[in-house]
Amino acid sequence: MKNSIYQFCKRNYLFDISAYLVLMIGGALLLIKGAEDQGYYWQWFRIPRYLYEFDDGRFIAGPILQGLKVTLNITWMSLILTYIIGLVTALMRLSNSLLARGIARVYLEITRNTPLLVQIFFMYFVVAPILDMDRFAAGVLALSLFEGAYASEIYRSGIVAVNKGQWEASYTLGLSTYQNYCYIILPQAIRRILPPLTSQAVSLIKDSSLVSVIAIYEMTMYANEIASETFLVFEIFFTIAAIYLALTITLSRVVAYFEKRYRVVS
Amino acid sequence: MSTKQLGDYIIRVDSIDKTFANGVVALKDFSTDIRRSEVVVLIGPSGSGKSTFLRCLNGLEEIDSGSITIDGIPLDENKKNRLEIRKEVGMVFQHFNLFPHLTVLRNITLAQMLVRKRPKGEAEAEAMKLLKKVAISEKADSFPNQLSGGQQQRVAIARALAMKPKVMMFDEATSALDPEMIGEVLEVMKDLAVEGMTMVVVTHEMGFAREVSDWVIFMENGMKVEEGTADHFFTDPKEDRTKLFLSQIL
Repeated sequence: MKNSIYQFCKRNYLFDISAYLVLMIGGALLLIKGAEDQGYYWQWFRIPRYLYEFDDGRFIAGPILQGLKVTLNITWMSLILTYIIGLVTALMRLSNSLLARGIARVYLEITRNTPLLVQIFFMYFVVAPILDMDRFAAGVLALSLFEGAYASEIYRSGIVAVNKGQWEASYTLGLSTYQNYCYIILPQAIRRILPPLTSQAVSLIKDSSLVSVIAIYEMTMYANEIASETFLVFEIFFTIAAIYLALTITLSRVVAYFEKRYRVVS
Repeated sequence: MSTKQLGDYIIRVDSIDKTFANGVVALKDFSTDIRRSEVVVLIGPSGSGKSTFLRCLNGLEEIDSGSITIDGIPLDENKKNRLEIRKEVGMVFQHFNLFPHLTVLRNITLAQMLVRKRPKGEAEAEAMKLLKKVAISEKADSFPNQLSGGQQQRVAIARALAMKPKVMMFDEATSALDPEMIGEVLEVMKDLAVEGMTMVVVTHEMGFAREVSDWVIFMENGMKVEEGTADHFFTDPKEDRTKLFLSQIL
């Protein structure tokens, strides 16, 4: 009997979906009730104008969408840098050179054991003036260095996980270390580490909100401003949370598709 | 056994020693010389150093002392020499080690194009010729995981042959195969031997050793216990240890 209920629940998607809806609606109701108990007056109708406006039928992006554009710019630039820094660091850690391993080690220990916020400040107030970078470049670099440290560990685990026989086979065929990495090891490693690399991209999208502390006008910065001007705190922050969610879920789905397509069975 | 002509010495191994980091002695004062077109079979209990010897021959393992020279090139610290030796010595592994993300054809053309700098068309023609030789040309566009173990091993042999090596080494090439697939791989190996390829073979297939080899070396604890022609070795072994081993394995 118990078993059959379990079987029913397992197979019946309708049951799953309704349970999910009940949970979601229940959660939303609780939230609204909680806010109302505190005397919060919901004004969702005031939100759209911060997203977009129509002037003579012409679409004009509101501050939040403008911020989104900056967020996206920060994200894709940092993402490319993150993956490059991560790969280079991983290769340095795996190299025979003591110096390369040492540099990689110090970089990893420092970046992983200090808060990102501090690193962003450090990059902006200490490094940027020396290298003559603007705040946007400083933000991108700080994010990339931080996420790159984590990405390098992902790369490293992926590279180490490739069967030792693959190294030996390409060695005996006369391939150089560089050719071996390019044609044999990395193509296999990267297919395997796509899921954790995607999580890293998702973290990056979320962490990009932290560069608002050095006054880069990305989505969170605009949200902060609007919220302090209008007191629409919950509405604004729920809205940008939904946008972040939409971004990250889209990314995960796209990568999941490619992962399935290029799966390698060894 | 065979009536083919053996050439001059192509592999010279002079009293090499190898001790692993964990203190296990793999090879001890091991010397041997191998002629062109000679088929040398190494047999012995597991852990006797057979595979380590093969892996030292192409530099997969470092030797502690002694010297190895292949076709006049010393296997030393010089990277150029090492690369030259890696190109000239083909190796077939127990677990095939095909590249799983590449098609069979690409597995065979990759090193030809990267290392031998052959144009794509030429590399593919060579690959198809070799696939035909190992009787598996219909699988050129398959991926390794779509092939049986025996088929994979034949592809691995084709891959090594595509580099036109002067020496082929087989490290227990049939040990991971189902019994009914061992034959098809041994056939390919026999054909190679007949064509005059210099071969160093670690195997437990005594039938192969008896039929194909020119020289048999029996090893234990990193040392030669006994060596000789297949005839001598299987019919009239001198050492008690050899007799015991053969009585257990035959």
